[in-house]
Amino acid sequence: MLKADNQVPRSRYLAFNLLTFVLMAILLGRFFNLQILNYDTYRKRADSNRIRAVSLDAPRGLILDRNGVILVDNYPTYVLYCIPGEMESKEEQFSVIGQNIGLDKSILVSNYKKYYRTRFLPAKLAKDLSFDELSRIEENKLALPGVFYTQHPERIYTQKVRASHLVGYIKDLDNSAKVVADKQSDYEAGDLIGWVGLEKQYESSLRGEKGASFFQVDAFGREVGQIAEREDISPIPGRNLMTTIDITIQEALERELQGVRGVGIVSIPETGEIIACASSPDYLPELFRGSMSGIDWSHIVSDTNKPLLNRFANGLYPPGSTFKMLTTIALLNKQKINPSERIECTGSYEFGDRFFRCWKEEGHGFVNLEQAIEQSCNVYFYQTVQRISLKDLWMVWDRFGFGRKTGYDFPIESKGIIPDRAFMNKRYGRRGWARGNLLNMAVGQGEILVTPVQMAMYINHLATEGRAGKLHFVKGQGGISGSSPHYSNSIWEKISSHMGKVVYGLRGTGKSANPKIKGLKLAGKTGTSENPHGEPHAWFIGYGEKDGRKVSLVLLIENSGHGGEVAAPKARRIFAQYFNSESTQMAEKTP
Amino acid sequence: MTLTRKIAETPQSLLLMPVFLSVLGLGILYSISLHQGTALAQNLFFKQSIILIPALVGFGSSFLVSRNFIHKYIYILYFLTLGILAVPFLGEKVAGTHRWIDLGLPVSVQPSEFAKIIIVIALARYLSDRNLQMRHFGSLVFPCFIVLAPSLIVLNQPDLGTAIILITPLIPMLFWVGARPFHLFLFIAPIFSILTAFHLVPFFIWAGFMAIIFYLSKPKLLTGIGLYFGNIFLGLLTPVAWNLLRPFQQKRVLTLLNPDLDPLGAGYQIIQSKMAIGSGGFLGKGWGQGTQTHLKFLPVQESDFIVSVMGEELGFIALLIMLTVFTFFIFRITRSAFESNDRFSGLVLIGFASIFLAHVFVNCAMTVGLIPVKGLPLPFISYGGSFLMASFMMAGVSMNLAVNRMG
Repeated sequence: MLKADNQVPRSRYLAFNLLTFVLMAILLGRFFNLQILNYDTYRKRADSNRIRAVSLDAPRGLILDRNGVILVDNYPTYVLYCIPGEMESKEEQFSVIGQNIGLDKSILVSNYKKYYRTRFLPAKLAKDLSFDELSRIEENKLALPGVFYTQHPERIYTQKVRASHLVGYIKDLDNSAKVVADKQSDYEAGDLIGWVGLEKQYESSLRGEKGASFFQVDAFGREVGQIAEREDISPIPGRNLMTTIDITIQEALERELQGVRGVGIVSIPETGEIIACASSPDYLPELFRGSMSGIDWSHIVSDTNKPLLNRFANGLYPPGSTFKMLTTIALLNKQKINPSERIECTGSYEFGDRFFRCWKEEGHGFVNLEQAIEQSCNVYFYQTVQRISLKDLWMVWDRFGFGRKTGYDFPIESKGIIPDRAFMNKRYGRRGWARGNLLNMAVGQGEILVTPVQMAMYINHLATEGRAGKLHFVKGQGGISGSSPHYSNSIWEKISSHMGKVVYGLRGTGKSANPKIKGLKLAGKTGTSENPHGEPHAWFIGYGEKDGRKVSLVLLIENSGHGGEVAAPKARRIFAQYFNSESTQMAEKTP
Repeated sequence: MTLTRKIAETPQSLLLMPVFLSVLGLGILYSISLHQGTALAQNLFFKQSIILIPALVGFGSSFLVSRNFIHKYIYILYFLTLGILAVPFLGEKVAGTHRWIDLGLPVSVQPSEFAKIIIVIALARYLSDRNLQMRHFGSLVFPCFIVLAPSLIVLNQPDLGTAIILITPLIPMLFWVGARPFHLFLFIAPIFSILTAFHLVPFFIWAGFMAIIFYLSKPKLLTGIGLYFGNIFLGLLTPVAWNLLRPFQQKRVLTLLNPDLDPLGAGYQIIQSKMAIGSGGFLGKGWGQGTQTHLKFLPVQESDFIVSVMGEELGFIALLIMLTVFTFFIFRITRSAFESNDRFSGLVLIGFASIFLAHVFVNCAMTVGLIPVKGLPLPFISYGGSFLMASFMMAGVSMNLAVNRMG
């Protein structure tokens, strides 16, 4: 029975108490560490655990012309979303939605996959819902848990002009996009991003800043209410983009380019402001608003006229006779010609075993420099260019900015080609080319390729004696041009007076560019550039000045014939539009 | 001895402290059920309040029953318990284990919780009946069987946490009756030899530590060398044996050792628990205001992680008070054990003190990430009928045996 005495040494009793004390002290120390020493850390972590920030989109900035006329606007559309974690049966619900908005279920499923973020963030299913479709969705609301729609601003484009290559378009980002995967960026699937053109170039300012709305979520990610202690951050709307474009000139330019393949750029030489810029054929900017059907797309892609090619930035063309001023500058600069020296043109010129032709088969007869430019005589330049080297020519091209980017505020630009010795050696071998190639280059043919933007830079330098401003589309983005050709005044004077002859001379090739406006002084040059794609390209470059206001124009019509016959008349109408509207504008300002 | 005298001579704090802790627990359960919005029958606070009635009845009867009666029938109870522990294996698995007995009542009973009481008392009787020379290693063997038999059954349920708790009182009780510390060390040594065997540095530290203990304890030379190298050999063999197991067998062992292996990975439960406790700060977020709790980031918040709820809502100050009460509660039982006139009572009391201490330490240490998750409730505070009742019965027996007969 209970007879055994309890004989426990005091030390063992105390040892047990010590163990109890130590274990409890360990626990207390740990609690102290977590709750007092690391309170801030755990508090923050617990908050981020339960707080979900849902971003609020900022309305995108508008794109305006130089006078504030809207080129690209926003309008409200309805977008259908679903919250995957709150849906009961995706398959069934997608079919119900599909039937009600007339969209194939497979499209809904693929959108769902494209825009899926997490189980409890909305995924975009369809956009541009009509009021009818919305009401049908509303009627079936009970069958569609977790499905909702919100208003969302979309891009809408003015009907007056297209300017599609210029303003570009925006794109819906889906899960395959790189910026969505990039943890540094705050782009999410379903966001819009400027993808092409000015929309891309000025994405950061057009886009604005996202806001955020905070919700409390539970461990399963379900929203369980707003958070009182944290206020929503309102989005900062994107800034409007004030461009240098003048919608009336843009309209006139697009009208001239309608139905042809070509490019036109109108700009102000001193400042570099681009007033109108078009590449033809173009596309309806609406096509890229996200819901483009497969048929439209294949139609555009398979079009042999390449409407998606941005010709002013990436079109590469031989400049043809428009380059003769550069050859002239090289010759005058090296003092290798006397302007009054007359050279006989018989319609062709034999060099080595080759015949080099002038565009006028019967020949120009004896021409001096002025007449050679006025009538665009090739033979004059075939002969005189032999007095200088390829390097002399190349230096002039380079000073005018050919062979490199102009650095205008646009996401894309090609460099073009201006051949130098190394280039020629590489292409033809050290002995594979000769002075014969130089003869072609003197008249802007051969290996030379330029972009229309470079040509705009070139004509602006000619109009300002080498002091043209950097080309730009958006106000305030001008500055010093990347190229600055310096030549003597006498050279500039000769060039401009000879270019005047092109328009005003009796035999001037650019006569039909003259709109005959009182007080308007024009200068220009036509070009007819041979190319392997068929008929020659027709060029006209020129500038006009009236009452101290200058404007320049570059016009190229692909495979259409002589510059003087095809391009110059179009140039006339654009000049007329510009200087007439300019005078009316000024009249309005000073009544 | 009259009832009034018995009550007068007993340390009443052994009832008051558990009641205080239970009320604290009910407060936490009320906060948890605030946001659960379920029917009354499902309400944790309500259910625990109801369970408190039989628990207090259990306390009363444990207090009143005579200690001679306990001493006399404990072996019968012990074998009955062994049988009952095996009963859940005949029924359906509940929550993946054979832990509960379904009595056809609205409640199920978890016999392993009551086994804790029986094992301690049975062991106490064995150790006190024999005037054993506990300084001999051989006399330690049979007590081990008393503890290991029920533990192995529980381990198979599988419920490692409870199995560990069942073994825990053995060492303190042997220590209490005078076993040499070195012998007790020999009990624990193989476990450490196996656990440290998987990494070189801990194993070397362990081998060095063991060498020092052996040197200081001066066992007979051959025995000492044999035992020491036996342990080393065991350690060296463990990784080899482990690698001989097929992957699915290894997984089976791991699941046995840690049935709560985290389904969400990366210690999700511990992370959420630490976040809850840490974010509570000194004063807590306020009763019913714990975001970790009410947004259900905290797992099993009503039992295993109830400390996390307390830490989050009531802060460090509440945990400090709770640990203080537990400490004094255990101190009081230990003191009664020391002051007890008979060896049997002393042993029972020290056994219960060990069980309470182990429960508090393992539960709290788990919620703060000091040890891996072992599903063990906190005495008097956690939700759960069987364990609440067993805890109150242990408190009742403790208060009963703490009364010293005059003379």
